[in-house]
Amino acid sequence: MTDFHPDVKRLLDGEVSLADLPSELRAEGEEALRLVAAAADWARTPVTLSPALDARVMAAVRSRAAAPSLWRRLTEPREVRLRLRPWILAPALAAAAVLALLLVRPAPSPVASATVTVRFVLFAPDAQQVALAGTFNQWDVAATPLVRSNAPGVWTATLTLPAGQHEYAFVVDGARWVPDPAAPAVDDGFGRRNSVLTL
Amino acid sequence: MKLGLGLIAGLLAISAAPVSLAAQQDIATRLAGRVPPDVAALVQQLAADAAARGLPMDPLIQKAIEGSAKGVPAERVATAVRTVAGQLDAAAAALRDGGLVPTDTAAIAAGAFALNAGLNDRNLTDLTRASRPPYSVATTLRVASTLAAMGVPAAQVVELVTQVIAAGEPAESVVNLPAQVQARVSHGQGMTPAQAAAGLARAAAARANPPGQNKPKPPHP
Amino acid sequence: MTGRGGAADGAVVRAILAGDIERYAELVERYRDRYARYAARMLGSEDAAEDAVQDAFVRAFDQLAQCRDPDNFVGWFFLILRNRCFAERRKTRDTAPLEAAGMIAAADRPDGMVETTERRRALQRALLNLTAEQREVFVLKHVEGLSYDEIAERLRTSVPSLKMRMHRAYDRLREQLRRTED
Repeated sequence: MTDFHPDVKRLLDGEVSLADLPSELRAEGEEALRLVAAAADWARTPVTLSPALDARVMAAVRSRAAAPSLWRRLTEPREVRLRLRPWILAPALAAAAVLALLLVRPAPSPVASATVTVRFVLFAPDAQQVALAGTFNQWDVAATPLVRSNAPGVWTATLTLPAGQHEYAFVVDGARWVPDPAAPAVDDGFGRRNSVLTL
Repeated sequence: MKLGLGLIAGLLAISAAPVSLAAQQDIATRLAGRVPPDVAALVQQLAADAAARGLPMDPLIQKAIEGSAKGVPAERVATAVRTVAGQLDAAAAALRDGGLVPTDTAAIAAGAFALNAGLNDRNLTDLTRASRPPYSVATTLRVASTLAAMGVPAAQVVELVTQVIAAGEPAESVVNLPAQVQARVSHGQGMTPAQAAAGLARAAAARANPPGQNKPKPPHP
Repeated sequence: MTGRGGAADGAVVRAILAGDIERYAELVERYRDRYARYAARMLGSEDAAEDAVQDAFVRAFDQLAQCRDPDNFVGWFFLILRNRCFAERRKTRDTAPLEAAGMIAAADRPDGMVETTERRRALQRALLNLTAEQREVFVLKHVEGLSYDEIAERLRTSVPSLKMRMHRAYDRLREQLRRTED
C-alpha cells in the first residue's frame, strides 16, 4: 500500500500544517513534504529558450502575411488550411523545422477550381538547399527547389497544383527526407512518412 | 484440373491486356533512368495487369519512382509496388460493392490511398454508397483518408462524412472537413481529432434532423 | 490582462488584426518565457518545449481573429500551447520522453545539497511517468505556485477534479520512488 493518507494529501495541498496531523501521521507527512519539495525543486530548474525564437516566430508571421489578403482569408471558413502536426521533428531534425503550409483555394470559377495555389514554407537555418519532391513532380528532387526568403533561415516555394490528392516530402541538402510536420502524413511503404495534401 | 485451367486462362487474359503500345512506351519513358531495370519490368507487368482490370496505373508508377528517389533497395521498392497493386484491387472491389461506376479510376486510386491511410474496405463501401451526386466518390475518399491521416478513427471518419452528406451540405463542406477538424483541435483544451470529428458529426446530424421534427435519417441506398 | 509595461494586450491584438503585424513581436517578447518551464516539464525536454512555444505563437497568430477576449491574449495563448503539449505527448508517449542526462546535469547544483544524483534521476523519472494531466497539475501548483482556484480558471475545469488528479499524482510519485528504492 503506497497511497498517502488523505490527511497527508491535505498537508501537501497546503490546507493543513504538519502540526495539525495526528502524531501517527507525522512521519508520513514529513516524507510526503520531502518528496514533493524535491520533485518541485528539480522541476523548478529554469528553462531558457533560444534568443532566436522571436525572430523565427516573426519570420513565420511575415511569410504568412506576405500576401495580406491571404492571411485574412485563412480565417475565413471557406479556406482550406491544414496545420496538423507542427513541430514533430526529432531533435536531430530540429534545424529543419517546418514552419507552415499555406493553402489558398482560389475564388470558385470553372477554371480556377481545377487548380490550387499552395505555398510551402520551411524554416531550415542550417540547410544549404531545400527541395520539394512528391507525386506532383514525379518525386524529382531537382525539380522544385525552395528559395531563401528575405527572412533568415526561411525557405519558400509557391506551386499551383491540380485539385486532388498529393503526397510529398521536403528534401534537405539533397539527402534528408523530412515530412511536413504541418500536414497529415501516411506510411510511405518504405519505413518513412509522406505528407498528404488534399486540394 | 479445372483450377489449373482457370489459372492459365487468367494468365492468358493478363498477357492479352489491352495496354496500347503507346501506353507501354509512356510507362517506359517515365521509368527510364528513374528505377532499376528489374523494378521497371515489374511495374510494366503490374501496370498491364491493372489496366486489364480497369485499375489506374499511375499509383504503381509513382510508388516505384518514389522508392528509387528515396534510395530504397530494389526489392523493397518491388514489395511496396506490389502492396499498392493489392490496395488498388481491394479498393476497386469495395467501391464496386458501393455501386461505383467501374471506370472511375480516380476514385479507385483515392480508395487505395484511403486503405493505406487506415480505412478498411467496408469503410470504402459505405463512403461510396453515401457519395451520390453532387458529391464525388473520389473527393469523399480523399477527404476521408486525410481525416484518417490526421488521427480520426476510421469509423468516425465514415460517420462524419456521411452525416455531412446526409445534411445536404454543399460539396465544398466535405472538402473543408479536415480544416474544420484541425480548427477544433487547435482551439479545444486537449481535444483530440477524434473528439473534434465527433463534435462536427453531431452538429451535422442536428442539421440533418432538426430537433422536434423527428425526421428520420435518409436511408443508405 | 496587460503585460509588463507597453500597450495592453488587447490594444496590440487589435493593431495586429488591423494589419500592423510587426507588433506581434511585442506579444512574443512579452510571453515567450512565461510558460517555457511548463512546456519543458510537460514534454520532458527543453528542445521540445522551444518547438512547442514557437509553434503555439505561430498558431496563435494564424487564429488571432478568433481570440474572443484580446485583453486576455495570454490566457488564450496558454490554452493553445497546452493543447500543443498534449498533442505532442499523445504522439510520443510510446517513446522515451527524455533528455535525461541533460536535464539532470542542469539540475545539479554546486552546493551538493539535498538530493543525490541517483535520487534526482528517480524523481525525474517518477514525474515523467505521471500522466500528462497529473503532471500538469503538479507543475502548475508546486512549480509555478498557482492555487487550485487559479489552475481551475486557467484550465477551465473544477477544483475537485484537479484535486483528484493531484492526489493521484502524489500516490504515484510515492509508488514510483519506492519501487526505485526497493
